[in-house]
Amino acid sequence: MIELTEINRAEALRYMGGSKVEMNEIMEALLNSCEKDIIKAASPKYLYKKIPLENSGLLIGNTIYEHLKDCREAVLMCATIGAGVDKLIRSASVTDMAKAVVIDAFASAAVEQVCEKTEELIKQEIPDKYFTWRFSPGYSDYPIELQEKFLSILDAPRKIGLCANESSLLTPTKSVTAIIGVSDKPIEKKRRGCAGCNLRESCQYRKSGERCEF
Amino acid sequence: MNFNELMKNEFILLDGATGTMLQKSGLKLGEIPETLNITRPETVMNIHRQYIESGTQILTTNTFGANSYKMKNSGYTVQQLIGAAVKNARSAAGDKALVALEIGPIGQLLEPAGSLSFDEAYEYFKEEILAGEDTDIIFFETFTDLLELKAGVLAAKENSDKPVVASMTFEKNGRTFAGVSVASAAITLEGLGVSALGVNCSLGPDELAPIVKEFTEWTSLPIFVKPNAGLPDPNSNTYNVTAEDFAESMDKITDYGTVKLVGGCCGTTPDYIKALKKVIDNKTYKKADVKKDTAVCSATTAVEINQPRIIGERINPTGKKLFKEALINNDIDYILSQAISQVKAGADILDVNVGLPEIDEKDMMVRVIKALQSVVDVPLQIDSTKPDVLEAALRVYNGKPIINSVNGEEKSLTNVLPLVKKYGASVIGLTLDEDGIPKTAEGRFNIAKRIVERANALGIPSKDVYIDCLTLTVSAEQSACKETLKALHRVKTELGCKTCLGVSNISFGLPNRELINHIFLTMALEEGLDLPIINPNDELMTGAVRAYKVLADIDKNSKEFIESYNEVKTEKPKIVSSHISLTDAIINGLKSEAASLTEKALENKDAMEIVNSELIPALDKVGVDFESNKIFLPQLIQSANVAQACFEVIKKHLSKNNNTPVSKGKIILATVKGDIHDIGKNIVKVLLDNYGYTVVDLGRDVAPEIIIKTAIDQNIKLIGLSALMTTTLKSMEDTITLARKTPELINSDGSSKVIFFVGGAVLTEDYAKKIGADYYCKDAKESVDTAKLVFSSQ
Repeated sequence: MIELTEINRAEALRYMGGSKVEMNEIMEALLNSCEKDIIKAASPKYLYKKIPLENSGLLIGNTIYEHLKDCREAVLMCATIGAGVDKLIRSASVTDMAKAVVIDAFASAAVEQVCEKTEELIKQEIPDKYFTWRFSPGYSDYPIELQEKFLSILDAPRKIGLCANESSLLTPTKSVTAIIGVSDKPIEKKRRGCAGCNLRESCQYRKSGERCEF
Repeated sequence: MNFNELMKNEFILLDGATGTMLQKSGLKLGEIPETLNITRPETVMNIHRQYIESGTQILTTNTFGANSYKMKNSGYTVQQLIGAAVKNARSAAGDKALVALEIGPIGQLLEPAGSLSFDEAYEYFKEEILAGEDTDIIFFETFTDLLELKAGVLAAKENSDKPVVASMTFEKNGRTFAGVSVASAAITLEGLGVSALGVNCSLGPDELAPIVKEFTEWTSLPIFVKPNAGLPDPNSNTYNVTAEDFAESMDKITDYGTVKLVGGCCGTTPDYIKALKKVIDNKTYKKADVKKDTAVCSATTAVEINQPRIIGERINPTGKKLFKEALINNDIDYILSQAISQVKAGADILDVNVGLPEIDEKDMMVRVIKALQSVVDVPLQIDSTKPDVLEAALRVYNGKPIINSVNGEEKSLTNVLPLVKKYGASVIGLTLDEDGIPKTAEGRFNIAKRIVERANALGIPSKDVYIDCLTLTVSAEQSACKETLKALHRVKTELGCKTCLGVSNISFGLPNRELINHIFLTMALEEGLDLPIINPNDELMTGAVRAYKVLADIDKNSKEFIESYNEVKTEKPKIVSSHISLTDAIINGLKSEAASLTEKALENKDAMEIVNSELIPALDKVGVDFESNKIFLPQLIQSANVAQACFEVIKKHLSKNNNTPVSKGKIILATVKGDIHDIGKNIVKVLLDNYGYTVVDLGRDVAPEIIIKTAIDQNIKLIGLSALMTTTLKSMEDTITLARKTPELINSDGSSKVIFFVGGAVLTEDYAKKIGADYYCKDAKESVDTAKLVFSSQ
């Protein structure tokens, strides 16, 4: 059980268009009330499962192959903050779009937090091993169509109500799936950077002179 | 033996888990359990046989996920898989058990959470039901979305005559993943005419107990319970409750009454079923008392009509110019904002009427119902005079609605009541018939009685008929009020029905209408009015209901009353000085100040001058600040909203002076087919709105054909498309390609009549060019710049 008590505000602000902007009173009040709303509406859930990589059908594309080359096993995980958040965003979109944008950003930050906590749990559960960072379908040349396979291996539709639609979009929308490589020996820490990222040209962060944590 | 005969037993023993047993028999990672029906029928039959030997009386087929969506990569058709599964189950069951066709969720979320439509869901289920013809019962299990389950139950009812049994899966907090409450599940499923309903999976018997208990309070139908063998260990996938403990807990659960069918879900094995058999073998079934009164519901919220409940009347075009315009312009958001404000003001239920000669009422009703249910939790009252509109809405409605209305006319009784029965709704009965509205209370009572009798004859209980004794205008006939109230009283006491009443008609033609309405409402409440249909935004009316509930000892400890009025009014810090300019008010996001400054400015300035010299420059300043990282996106939007308030003031002023409203041009916006992330599109909409453009918002997941048709029908030149994911960029391309190929959108010189601007997270300028878009907009601000450019060059 993962509970959200507060949401990473710096992260949320980054989604809202930059952390360089100076805060003011009106913005502060809006952020506070939206954070409360989202904590109330969120229902964080996660699943993970360790699997052997051989014959898993999950190594598609160069980037993932490179990413997991030192690993014979991996952990698949997924996380969501639930359909209630989508409803909250829809409702705010009708009455107050500014609020909707803030809630949307907080929701993205919240699901990221749930992922981080899940990752901590995984690492506790599997001691004395080394891990790669989380890699998700849709990153670089890793096909987004694998969402369904991830969800099916994790039994996510039945266990936590997390599905994908025909365009491989996760529903509820504030959700993540990822694969983490597991190895017996230390993994060379590769720099996650813009240079190796296929989304480099379209990245919203790069456009505004920032970077994501990838 | 058939299901009805079997149900004469005290208890009925179901089976345990199939998946758990298949895993024990060596199901491989990624192997599809349903294919084993064909590849290893012996394994499946062996599991079935073990359950039969344990005493199972209804065997479920190994077809949980056997729908064509989940099975698309299995190498088999639904017909092959279900056909084989039924054969296996039949051969194992022999004459010792009935065979139930097991149907689980499709594996994709329905709208609005996902993008699967109700009709698509229905077709998936229909295919399964037809493939499983040679079974005795249809068993829906493990559902979390009530609307998906409703699609399944309707598909079963309309394509077979087998008994239908349905269950949902709840979490510890008493809700499913989709937020469905126990009450909503019980009320809705009972209404749809299932033979038994209940819960399965996710929790062990002890955790499920309070949920089962709650079911018994809401339904008199037989309840079935199939818990997991406790909670799973995430690593070993073993469960923590033994067969003996499981049976002991189930013994307690069957003591609640009404629970009649018992079995197990994940982690349970034939041993659990054997243990369960020992418990129920010498036990007598009893029914618990249904504690709850009649109720209506959405998927998340049930409203029990055990006290006065407010029905909000504002979603109705009658006499409302703006509402009519919204309907004609497909402005669903306007309707949604009307709904949200009524709920905030205290409405328990919302009436929905979208009848207007200029529009396709059926199509609009379905869209509005879906949209309303995606943002508000209150149950809805479907209001139309046309049976086909009612039925279309009843199908897609998630929960148990009220139908408004039936009356004593033969045509109405014959057309409307069967719909109420089939879809399990409640209905408003108007006390009028072919001869009009009877003058006397006696006359109206008699019609009410006739309506209730006809409803009962179809199996609709009296408690689900809400009688409206009709409010007449007191200025036209002064004794009318007393007759209405007298009839209401008799209906309530003699027929045992709930009552409703539209209130405001009473004061027509009199001064100080509010006062008359308010006193009449109070009098009616005292006579037993349950469902006042009012404008909840009218504080006096809503207040009267709240005060009545205190004085009539309904609102215990005045809790609801205090909560409604004790809210600390937190005023926002106001930076206002008397010298603030309109521009500053917009930049600082001060809505009411900006609106009043606009009104003041209109006294001595031309409307267009205010727009061009103050509103637009202020918005531009905010836009530049946003681009240079001085303000956040929400602040940009706040300013845009303030500007909109100013535009509203100007629009009102212009329409008073019979000038044409300010519109700088019409633009279509849509999030493309397959994509359900529409926040980006909505931001663009707000900005364009507030720069004075008229936006036709087609929503999300919009097919290319709809976009093209709208462009042709409404003669719109500029189209904005949004897509968030790489997978949906293709739909963007398809839309543009279709437009370029559509003769109606091509000029005689071969050039295109429509201009596309596109945006979205993964989109690049290069890609936008490649797919044939005219403009690439990196953010909402650039969309406005593009609109300016396009319309100024024309």
